[in-house]
Amino acid sequence: MLFPTLSFGLFFLVVFTVVWAANGSNEWRKILLLVASWVFYGAWDWRFVALLIVSAFLNWGSAELIWYNREGPARRRRAIMIAGVTGNLLILGFFKYYGFFVEQLGDVLHAAGYARDLPLMQVVLPVGISFFTFQGMSYLADVHAERLAPAKLLDVTLLMSFFPHLVAGPIVRGSDLLPQFEESPRLTRDMASMGLVLIVWGLFKKAVVASELSTGLVDPVFFDPASHSRLDLIAAAYGYAVQIYCDFSAYSDMAIGIAALLGYKFPLNFNQPYRAQSLQDFWRRWHISLSSWLRDYLYIGALGGSRKGFARQCLNLMLTMLLGGLWHGAKWTFVIWGGLHGGVLAIERIWDRIRPEGWPRLPRVLGILITFHIVLIGWIFFRAESFDAAIAYLKGIGTVGVASDVLTPLACVLILFGMAIHFTPVNLGQRLALQVRLLPAWALGLLVGVTILIVDAMRFEGVAPFIYYQF
Amino acid sequence: MPQDTPSPIDLPEPELEQSGLGWTFGVIAIASLFLLCANASSLRDWIDDQPPSQAQQQAAEYADQWVDTTEGFGIGLPHKAMHDQWKRAEEARFPGSHRKDEVGEGADQ
Repeated sequence: MLFPTLSFGLFFLVVFTVVWAANGSNEWRKILLLVASWVFYGAWDWRFVALLIVSAFLNWGSAELIWYNREGPARRRRAIMIAGVTGNLLILGFFKYYGFFVEQLGDVLHAAGYARDLPLMQVVLPVGISFFTFQGMSYLADVHAERLAPAKLLDVTLLMSFFPHLVAGPIVRGSDLLPQFEESPRLTRDMASMGLVLIVWGLFKKAVVASELSTGLVDPVFFDPASHSRLDLIAAAYGYAVQIYCDFSAYSDMAIGIAALLGYKFPLNFNQPYRAQSLQDFWRRWHISLSSWLRDYLYIGALGGSRKGFARQCLNLMLTMLLGGLWHGAKWTFVIWGGLHGGVLAIERIWDRIRPEGWPRLPRVLGILITFHIVLIGWIFFRAESFDAAIAYLKGIGTVGVASDVLTPLACVLILFGMAIHFTPVNLGQRLALQVRLLPAWALGLLVGVTILIVDAMRFEGVAPFIYYQF
Repeated sequence: MPQDTPSPIDLPEPELEQSGLGWTFGVIAIASLFLLCANASSLRDWIDDQPPSQAQQQAAEYADQWVDTTEGFGIGLPHKAMHDQWKRAEEARFPGSHRKDEVGEGADQ
């Protein structure tokens, strides 16, 4: 059930009505939301609803045990936390990385002269598994560090299953959402206005910009780079940069908006990432819930951040980004993407340290351009089917030939539009919401209806799944 | 938000006093009714895509009648006009482009 479809629209109308009708009892409200979330998830595959429940039990039980032992030895609490995190990693590892590691092991054994038939299995990847396992792990780490008290089973299960963020984030931490579950929420005009602005804006970015660029330009070129000209390859690389932003940020916007209409606040996940002046700045703007998760729980929490010296800090950055790349999927192209980001982040730190006193800093525009193009090269690896395909793509950009087969005026306009929205005022959406909240219901209803009608007239026939569903 | 993570839902000005629930129901109801009238064909297409059953066939009949009614009043024309305009934009090519024109084929059915 994809957000920009009529199926989801009808599902949401029912959930919205039923949940607010039950607002007198917070417990019943949460139970209804939980059932709705399972229906939403079960629309892909009912079997994996059981996985969600098992995962919630694992994290709830581990957190209870940690809390029960809070007066006991720290080593015991830590051991329980590690066991819980390991349980989450085993779930993630089995479903997401089993095939990849068996394949790599087979290659290594073959190279060493020990060719063996390893037990290959076709493991179906549950949608959104990377998101809810990360949520579970951060919940355990927060309870262990006593940043968060353990929550009731119902709340933990709802935290992990709540349908707006379930399949593609944002990674909403327990500390963000659990306190909001403690009492029945109130829907204010502010929340509803901003929620509606985000839903309609997300719908436009996904259904019009991302879908059009994907089907008309990016997919054909990345499918067969060798048969396209240099101009097509360059345009498709820029097109993919805009597509992945408009696709992923659209999902986040709609998730935040849908949660707001149900009375809950999710954190910001994107903040005009392509206006970043450095890669460090980029990661404060792109997929903020993942980058802050990796920073807090992996880079600082598990690896020690900068506490163990400068060399170790650079190594930690590299490791964090390599694992961040692997989080996206079991492919070497993701590892290379992470390595590129980690390497450049480390170089930025080193340059900050060795930069001679009095040397001018890069002009802002130059910083933005350089950062964007590093990100762009990373996206080629991220999008390519294999390492060889990414290298062939980059080589193709260096060849001659500018005649274009796929670049259209509309694609150019959409790419320019996708870049231009990064340089609008930062809180444009919030300013719009401040105006919208003053409108009478009938006027805003018509405005929302007309906008959705326009988007529907422009959308590509059918809706492709969101890119981040596969993660 | 309970911690220092900003949420876009927190607007930068003081909150309005009035409750938003009835207002939001009104907004969603009006938008839904508007789309039901102005984009009836989407509902019909969605019903046509559902697994066949007696209820689905019955609903498909009602949806066809509803589309005929809205088209009779010309309510669906703006959507069709915008869609046709968008298809023309999709089909536009730069002078000298080599691409065969396959994108828009069958789009306006």
